[in-house]
Amino acid sequence: MSVQKSSPAAEPAGTPVRRAQRLHLSEDWLATVVGLVLLVLVLTGVITGPVVP
Amino acid sequence: MAADADAGASAAVTTDREGTHDEPLPGTPTADAGLGWAVAGLLLVVALAALTRFLTTNVPTWTEGTAFGDVAESVEFPVYAIALGLLGNAVLVATHLKDRLAAGFRTELFIKTGVVLLGASVNLSLIVTAAVPAIVQALALVSSVFLFTWWWGGRFGLDDKLRALLATAVSICGVSAAISAAGAVQAKREQLAYAATLVIVFALPSIFLLPWLADVLDLTPAVAGAWIGGNIDTTAAVAAAGTIAGEDALAIAAIVKSTQNVLIGVVAVALTAWFAFRVERRPDAEAPGGGEIWRRFPKFVLGFLAASVIATVYTSNVGPDAAKPVIAVANDLRTLFFILAFVSIGLELRVRSLRTAGWRPVVVFGAAAVFNLVVGLGLSTVLFRGFEA
Repeated sequence: MSVQKSSPAAEPAGTPVRRAQRLHLSEDWLATVVGLVLLVLVLTGVITGPVVP
Repeated sequence: MAADADAGASAAVTTDREGTHDEPLPGTPTADAGLGWAVAGLLLVVALAALTRFLTTNVPTWTEGTAFGDVAESVEFPVYAIALGLLGNAVLVATHLKDRLAAGFRTELFIKTGVVLLGASVNLSLIVTAAVPAIVQALALVSSVFLFTWWWGGRFGLDDKLRALLATAVSICGVSAAISAAGAVQAKREQLAYAATLVIVFALPSIFLLPWLADVLDLTPAVAGAWIGGNIDTTAAVAAAGTIAGEDALAIAAIVKSTQNVLIGVVAVALTAWFAFRVERRPDAEAPGGGEIWRRFPKFVLGFLAASVIATVYTSNVGPDAAKPVIAVANDLRTLFFILAFVSIGLELRVRSLRTAGWRPVVVFGAAAVFNLVVGLGLSTVLFRGFEA
């Protein structure tokens, strides 16, 4: 009979805390990509002053 | 008798029996909220952000020559954004729409995007120069504030998991740290909701208090920025306070806060191991691997650094005069994301869980915030004295 090892950080998938954590981590990457893409668009002249309200 | 009542109420955040089961966690949609409601929430944030921009531009003109004119001139956009967010919050609570629209209030996403864009206006040489004092301050402040809060929470008889959440939130970076710590110690959702609410309740007055105190104490922009970055818990509130304190203070505050954010992974892994092996003594627990540190590493800090590198290289290629108006556009975009974040922070505030939790966690968090304030001021003054931002 195997004893299932539980990682200390493990928590049932789909629990509210786990969902909040997952969303938080994916927003990290999303913010990084969006911020850098916007910066590149500004530096290459695609976004200029009047575009920003 | 009163203490017993409070202790009982405090248990609401340490047990599953009662309390705030329906309280949505920060940034997570409620079960019945669909995409349409999330988009509606986002549109509300955008509308209030537009109104913020409109008021910031026009109120000084409207009030020119009146008794309110001088005050209106000095009111920065974070004040309008947070006030409108809180006002919208009150309306949504009264109309029972808040939980449905909450999925569109993406404070963390907006502020992190804004911080990445902020990197474009921070020269890489400033980051390199400020790195050493920022790291020393982060290590000293995080460890001392964490240990103080853990100890003080123990004196007040708080549940170990809630102690860990509060200590991590107050010592590192508020809601983000609380979410990481909640996963590490397997906290209950009401404990996380409660810790996140406490963070925002304490952060809101700090946004205005710290820049004012920095002015009263005649701190240099670098010391003020380091103090703000090291003390205010949420990154959004740090950005708001930094904006009020000035552009130079904002740059240092962002560097100091980013340095603290990096420690999330290390603390989360340490907490995971500590709870598994020492607090709960689970015989089947496995030690967390090094990959866990990377998984919890705040990736937007890399974006902040990358933006600084890109903008520094761009400036050295085209020259400072040609680069200035272009970087100004990036700064304008950053301001837009900051406004969206500040409006969201006002909209997201929830006081319901505080009512059921009693006074003990509030006292613990308040004492930790004061400790953080005093130690942070000492460290900032010593480490950033004579520093040119």
